[in-house]
Amino acid sequence: MGHSYRAVGWNRQKRVYDLALIAGIVLYLATFVGVGFTLHPGATAETMLIRALGTGAFLLLHLVLAIGPLCRVDSRFLPLLYNRRHLGVATFVLGLLHGGFALVQFHALGDLNPLVSVFVSNPRVDSVAQFPFQPLGVIALVILFLMAATSHDFWLANLTAPVWKSLHMLVYLAYLLLVGHVSLGVLQAETSPVLAGAVGIGMAGLLALHLLAGASEVAVDRGRDAATGAAGSAAGHSSLGLSSLREEDSAFVDVCAVSEIDEKRARLVSVAGDRVAVFRYDGKFSAVSNACQHQNGPLGEGCVIDGLITCPWHGYQYRPLDGASPEPFTEKVPTFRVQIRSGRVLIDPTPLPAGTPVEPALIGEGASDG
Amino acid sequence: MLVTIVEGGLVALGVYLAAGVLFAVPFLLNGAGRIDQDAAGGSRGFKLLVFPGVVALWPLLVGPWRRSRQRTERSPHRDAAIAGDRR
Repeated sequence: MGHSYRAVGWNRQKRVYDLALIAGIVLYLATFVGVGFTLHPGATAETMLIRALGTGAFLLLHLVLAIGPLCRVDSRFLPLLYNRRHLGVATFVLGLLHGGFALVQFHALGDLNPLVSVFVSNPRVDSVAQFPFQPLGVIALVILFLMAATSHDFWLANLTAPVWKSLHMLVYLAYLLLVGHVSLGVLQAETSPVLAGAVGIGMAGLLALHLLAGASEVAVDRGRDAATGAAGSAAGHSSLGLSSLREEDSAFVDVCAVSEIDEKRARLVSVAGDRVAVFRYDGKFSAVSNACQHQNGPLGEGCVIDGLITCPWHGYQYRPLDGASPEPFTEKVPTFRVQIRSGRVLIDPTPLPAGTPVEPALIGEGASDG
Repeated sequence: MLVTIVEGGLVALGVYLAAGVLFAVPFLLNGAGRIDQDAAGGSRGFKLLVFPGVVALWPLLVGPWRRSRQRTERSPHRDAAIAGDRR
């Protein structure tokens, strides 16, 4: 980032987010234990707490996995994404407490080392009903630990983005392991199909959300590609007068009408193999590559705050004019030349080196700016 | 047999993590700032936060730390300058 690391870059939003998260977790645990004792008066407090922590972690993991696609489908969920890493850390902490209590409750009273006991106490790997589900939870917990331990930006910068992202994609493996852990554990402890059904519904819901988000992304790219292709040939936009473009301007591609971009917001267009975010602010238009340098967050889904393009994921900011973060930060993204003609916004599809200053296009430049 | 294998695995894990702790302390005092200038003035909270990750993933950080140590060729002038600086 270009400044000394701190444990957490606190701001008001993060404090509110974390307070809401902690309140939600405490409320859930209290509700689970309260309802649990009402339904099962004979249950021990330790067992109830273990189950409350385990289900809490599993539900939080669902939320963690759902936030990304939810934001793709509806931008109103973006505030949830802002501090998702704290959700992940909270998931790990709940899982760790669940595992710790379970270790003491079920494995600490024998002759074996409790950690050894987790892996050897149940050898029935040939039975679905009696399958040793605990090791699945342990492996998932190790993955959640690695993700929580590497959630600071220091790790993204020093493990390199591809390694960091591969590591954090293991969350899907952790989820599948936990589905096995919970399902097989439920099979051994419950006769009611309700819990098993809930796990299935959660899994199906996550799958549907991911498919829905993926489909909407494909649709966006196809639509934009079609638009740029049409503009390039001038066939689909005769009203734009593209045939009268000067020779040096012929490479510019159409994005949309000026009126289609809201103030301080962006319009996305796919060119040169990636998306470009074209922002409108203070009567000007500037275009930058859509991928935030931090974690490839979608800049075009953010907005202009205090004159700076602000990533919706973690708040990283860039100047619209040159795609560079203000001092002391050092992030930069590629920029694109923009023109306004006949009320249309056009961009040069050739990306300029990250941080290259580009004169913004003014609404008044082209006739009938819409 | 299974107990022996698991016990052996846990011992190996313990040795690995102990080595990680031995690596993490000097790394966070000195090495982190060499491979990432933003870590040079990092707060204590930052160091505490990344400590578990360094213990767990220390083999991935050995290479960057070694490469960051720029070996400048010694010369009488440099040696004298360093000696003078110590005085």
